[in-house]
Amino acid sequence: MIIRLLSAALVAGFLAAVVATGLQFALTSPLILKAEVYEEQAGKQAALASPFAGVIIHAHGGEHHEPGAAAEWQPAPGFERMAYTGLATLVGGVGYALLLGAVMLALQRQPTPETGLAFGVAGFLCVALAPAMGLPPELPGMGSAALAVRQVWWLMTALATAVGIYLIAVRRVALTIVGGLVLIVAPHLVGAPFVVEESRLPAALAAQFAARSLGISLVFWAVIGLAYGWAWHLFGERAVARRSHA
Amino acid sequence: MSTSATLQTAATTGTSERTRAVAIAALLGLGLVFMTGFAPATALHNAAHDFRHTQNFPCH
Repeated sequence: MIIRLLSAALVAGFLAAVVATGLQFALTSPLILKAEVYEEQAGKQAALASPFAGVIIHAHGGEHHEPGAAAEWQPAPGFERMAYTGLATLVGGVGYALLLGAVMLALQRQPTPETGLAFGVAGFLCVALAPAMGLPPELPGMGSAALAVRQVWWLMTALATAVGIYLIAVRRVALTIVGGLVLIVAPHLVGAPFVVEESRLPAALAAQFAARSLGISLVFWAVIGLAYGWAWHLFGERAVARRSHA
Repeated sequence: MSTSATLQTAATTGTSERTRAVAIAALLGLGLVFMTGFAPATALHNAAHDFRHTQNFPCH
């Protein structure tokens, strides 16, 4: 059973990553590159405005580099960066597909493209839409609260939404439905650590990025769910065929 | 025929096997998602940078 789950998750993650990577290259990566131009400009201006500007420029411009500065690896622009984005999407897609498979098996739901899609949409609600209601998808260079605080809120919201959906859609009794709604709403009543800072980044660019990011997430999750249901049957039939031949 | 075979397999499969499969898949899945979405290592962050932004993981 575990082999069937892992195989189906690998196939689903791969197919979803192919689709989502294509969409990212077409829709969001160009916006990220545009935003990084503003981010760099803002960084330079901040350096010039600081009283230690001369020192900083000297330290970076001189031949004596700080030891930490060179150690920060990052992919080269262009093909290498795109390849790593694709790889990250693949790893993330397989990870999400494994979680989807684990939840479906734990709840004893027979995976089909239809049930897979339903769980995929639930996954999208938990890790994409619900956190985005408080912390909208951000472009580089937009001001924000401390990373750890945002990560904690993100995780709490995803978890609360997941348990909430479970109580509403699976348990489906009046009491659990009310409890589920409370859980889903609670993180937003507590409030996300959302900070609005002055930025030269055009608001229209940020808005377009947020909408496209959520759209891509929905497609990503829909393909994960559909493909997982399809691949589950594919590997099941193969196992049955092998057994009957043996 | 394949449906009855599937049902038979499902019926004979023990609960412990299901629990084990759920645990392995959940741990692997969480590990992979953590690596791409949350790992603080700079190299991992930079490699997955554009994916993190697009999938709305808190970044930077």
